[in-house]
Order: sequence, then C-alpha cells, then structure tokens
Amino acid sequence: MVDLLIEFLSNTGFALAGYQNIIMILVGIVLIYLGIAKSYEPFLLIPIGFGILMGNIPVIRDFGLGIYEKGSFLNYMYFGVMHDIYPPLIFLGVGALTDFSAMLARPSLMLLGAAAQIGIFATFLGALALGFAPNEAASIGIIGGADGPTAIFLTAVLAPRLIGPIAIAAYSYMALVPVIQPPIMRLLTSRKERLIRMEDPREVSKREKLIFPIVGFLLCCFIAPGALPLLGMLFFGNLLKESIVAERLARAARTSIIDSVTILLGIAVGASTQGDVFLTGKSMGIFILGASAFAVATAGGVLFAKFMNLFLRQKINPLIGAAGVSAVPNSARVVQIVGQKEDPTNFLLMHAMAPNISGVIGSAIAAAILWSFLGG
Amino acid sequence: MYGLDAISAHNGWQLAALGTSIVFAGLIILFLAISQIHKILEFWDKRDTYYQSIKKLVHRKHRSEATFSDPVLPKNVKGSVRQFKLLIEQIGEPFPLPKLLDFSEKCGFPHSHSSVNDLLKAKLIIPDGKGYFLWNQEVEKNIKI
Amino acid sequence: MPVEINIIDSLNLFEDLSRAELEEIASLMCRIKVTEGEVMTRQGDQAHSIFILLSADFMVFFKEGRSYTLHNKGDIVGLSAAVIPFCYTGTAVALTDGVVLSMPGQELLRLIESNPALGGKIMKKINQIISARQPFVTGGC
Repeated sequence: MVDLLIEFLSNTGFALAGYQNIIMILVGIVLIYLGIAKSYEPFLLIPIGFGILMGNIPVIRDFGLGIYEKGSFLNYMYFGVMHDIYPPLIFLGVGALTDFSAMLARPSLMLLGAAAQIGIFATFLGALALGFAPNEAASIGIIGGADGPTAIFLTAVLAPRLIGPIAIAAYSYMALVPVIQPPIMRLLTSRKERLIRMEDPREVSKREKLIFPIVGFLLCCFIAPGALPLLGMLFFGNLLKESIVAERLARAARTSIIDSVTILLGIAVGASTQGDVFLTGKSMGIFILGASAFAVATAGGVLFAKFMNLFLRQKINPLIGAAGVSAVPNSARVVQIVGQKEDPTNFLLMHAMAPNISGVIGSAIAAAILWSFLGG
Repeated sequence: MYGLDAISAHNGWQLAALGTSIVFAGLIILFLAISQIHKILEFWDKRDTYYQSIKKLVHRKHRSEATFSDPVLPKNVKGSVRQFKLLIEQIGEPFPLPKLLDFSEKCGFPHSHSSVNDLLKAKLIIPDGKGYFLWNQEVEKNIKI
Repeated sequence: MPVEINIIDSLNLFEDLSRAELEEIASLMCRIKVTEGEVMTRQGDQAHSIFILLSADFMVFFKEGRSYTLHNKGDIVGLSAAVIPFCYTGTAVALTDGVVLSMPGQELLRLIESNPALGGKIMKKINQIISARQPFVTGGC
C-alpha cells in the first residue's frame, strides 16, 4: 500500500518537475496574460501560451502523454504542424477574408511588398553570422516575413525543433508592430514626404477580382512551386470569396475553419516549446534577430518607396512601404496612424493595404525559395 | 564559425542575393500580369466593335433569325431608333424587353444593352405597367431620324 | 473598396437613419464595377447579396419575359437576400457600365436582428419595394 502510494507520488508532476518546467510554465502564463490583458495577438498567444502549459507539465516518459511520444493526444495535434497541414488551412481562411482590390487597383505597390522581404534575407545573413546552421538561419529569417503561418510552415520543414521560439517571436513582434515601425518610418522619411497625398485608386471590377486568384496562383506557383500549399490555399480561399456563389464555403473558411485550425496550431506549437530549446542562448538570439528582421523589413519597404518616387510622376507616400511587412492589417493601420499624425485628413489605409497583401504573397514565395535552397 | 566567415562558408551572400532577386522577379511578373487584366477585359468588352469593323471590311453576313439588312452601327439614340423599331415590329407589341435584347444581340447590334437603355431614357420604349413594353410613337415623331 | 457615408446617406432606403447607423451600414458595403450585359442575379439562385445602384442601369426580368428597369441612384436589386426563402426571384442584367454597392444579405439581416430600431426602419422600406414589384414576379425558387 505504501509502495503504491510512493510510486504514485513519484509519478506526479511535483516529483518530476525541473526548473525548466517551472520557467516554461511561467512563460506560458505570461503569454496568456499578454493575450488576454493586453490583447497582443490573442488568437495566437492564448492557445500558444496554454499549449506551453500543456507541453511542459512533467510526465513520465513512454506513458503516451508527451508531445513527441507517438500516439499521444498532443502528438496527433502536432502532426498538423510537422506535416505542414495547419498553415495552408489558415491561408485558406486568410484568402477568404482578404480583398485584393487595393492591390489590383495599383499593382505597382506590390513592389513595396517585395522590398520588405529583404528583412528575411538580411536576418538570414545575421543568423548565419551568429553561428546558426543554414536551415536554422532560414527559419529565423522568415520571421522577417511577419507571417505566422509562413514562419511555422518553413520552420516545420527546416528546423522543427525551433518552431516554438520562432512562432512566439513571430507572433510577439507582429503584435509589437505599432511599437517597432513608427520610429523607423519617421527616421527614414521627411515631413514633406509623409504629407504626400496619393490619388484615389481606380475601381476594380468583379471580373478582375475573379480572374486574379487564378492568374496569381498559376504565376506564383510556376515561379516558386514550393509556395503551392500556402499560395494555393490563399488564392483558393479568395476565389471562393469573390465567386460569391460559394459564399457558404468562403464563410466556413474565414470563420470555423480558420478558428479551429488556429486553436490546434496554437496548442501544438505551444506544447512543442520545451525548456531545453527555449531556455537557451539560441532563443535569445532568435528574439534579437526577430526584432531586427522587422526593423530591416520596415526600412526596406520605406526606402524602396522613396526609390520608386525618383521615377514616378504620381508620387507615393513612402510611409506605405512599411506596410510591406505583412502583418495584415496591423502594419497598414500603423501607416494610417503615422500618416494622420502629420495630416489628419490624409487617409493612407486603403493604399497601404496593397503592399500589405503583396507582402503575404512575397513572404510565401521567399519561404518557398529558402525551402528549395535548403530543404532535403 | 561566426561573422562574415560563417556567411561566406555557407554561401550566404549568394543565397540572399538570389533569394531577394527571385522574390522581386516573381512579384514584378505578377505586377505586370495584373496590370494588364483590366485592359484585356476592356478589349474583350469592345470585341464586338472590333469584330464589326473587321467584318465590314471582309463580307456581308446573312442572318436567318431576322430579315434585316446589316445595321449601320448606331452611335446614339437617333441612330438606333430605326433598327430597334424594325425589331419591335417583328416581335409585336407589347413586347418583352429581354426578347428585344436577345434579338438585337443576334442581329449583331453592338452595345445592345446600352442602346436599349438609351431608348428607355429617351422614352421611345415605355413600360405598359404589366411587365412588358411598348414603342412610343408620339416621342418618335419628335425625333429627326 | 470601403464605402463613404456620403455615398449612402442620400439613398432613399437609408434616409431615416442616424449617422451612427449609416456608419454601421457603410462598413458592410463595398463598391463593385459592373459592365454592360453583366448578370448580377439569376432567378432561382441562392440570394447572397443586395445591390444598390450608384451609376448603372439595370433590367430585372422574370420567367415569362416580364421585366422592369431601374435607372435611379439608390434603386435596389436582390432584396431576396434579406427575405425568406433567400432565392433571387428575377434575373438582373446591367444595361450600362457603372458602379453598384454590394452588401451581403446575411450581414444586413444580422444588423437588423441586432438593432431592432434600425432594422424596423429598413425592413419597412424593403417591404414597400417588394410589394411594388410583386406583380412582376412569376414564381419562387
């Protein structure tokens, strides 16, 4: 009887817990707090935070409970992360939510989205310089794409062990875009440039919005086939939305499907974030590089906009280059706020949506390129 | 290995340069394609006009559904009045508006929808209050054709 | 494309609404460019959206060829999206190029359900329009 009791007590979390479990549980609680009390990306940080709690409860090995133990509940949820199932499904919902009119009305603004992806490759170089292996460096670099599903998609393939810290870094910095971007935007632009008003975009017909997802998908995937899962679902979701006849499917994609997958993804990513990976110098490096990724991406977009203005008769407000950081729609809103601080009647939001959306496409293409260079 | 040596050892510069270039190239191609979509759609919408111009140069086509000669391209209300009146006489009054549109398309009238709209606005075609339409002789008398 | 309030506050359907109510309605809408001959609704199809004319002309026709035309800013097509059984009763074809406002019927219904005062005003006008058009309707779905 006593032996049984001792055996039971020795299998409890209290007996098995180490300092890493405790610290990770505290990290999970902090993320939940940030999500609920501060509303920092609550749809991701709350599931990830709780997933960290679930994944760091000390359990006996080979009991079928741990996330890396085949057949466990968490392991089944993690399957969707490891096999890149969840990110494309999230992109399906994103496509069904997105209106590409802003981009179709003025396609030249797409180049700002391309320029912002320089943050990915600059961070990749920075990670290499800090001693990360190339596949890890690429996974860290993709944080600069400011796209959570894309970051998870690539990291699951190239450096699955780093999914936890990379996902947390990506989503945390996406929530911090209103803090990171404005100083860089003001530093790189003059007041005169910030006051530039842009002409109203042309009306986009329904037919254009129907044709675009098909043309966009074919072109992007022919150029970067690795982007097929992400961009295929993105454009498919958008086609469902624009076709209108499949509104029920579009509604399912942008509500129940994206919400369900977000829950599963968050829990799985959080549970996979273990202390032996997260509480290391590598994680610190990831967080530092992640911040720099966002900064470089912002600068890249703004500077490219200024470069484009050298050749354009109708100038673009360089602030919208910051929206190339594809934290949709946070970075577009930041552009609107910074622009309105200079001129309250200058509405840049709809113009900023063009680079914002093209940044999503650009980061998916960048992920596909890195996968093709470094995968396998 | 750290620093610039690490970057060079892993071909970092080449990867970064190539990756950036491919992302740019991809989005430039997409930009060029998208910027042409609305122009192609505009050309498609005006294809009848171009087709009629080419057809005129080549030959005159006989149509079985209607016994009218090839219409002169109507550019305004006055121009389309005679053609539509003849069609309406063929259909009979009161006539269903969709049938008039259908006939005018088959006869090769370009921009048949907007032409019918012009006639409606000029009150040459008026509703009979029961869902069908009539030709307004009174207004026609006032228009010089 | 976001719709400004000054576009919709002059429309007959919304003339009794307050500024806050207009803002709520405007947030549901988007502008759509239509081209001559484009079919916006088909008789018998699931009714998903309501369309409000800004600058286009439309013909709405029914099975036996009965039809009526709409030429004025603020005229509405597709009210079946807000009325059971949510099937378009006619086929709407654009007679000219132009711009219409599109609003998902389910979103309008949600708004009506969540705001009875606003919903009452709008439904009264919708019912008036439907009653006026009833003689042209030849059948349901």
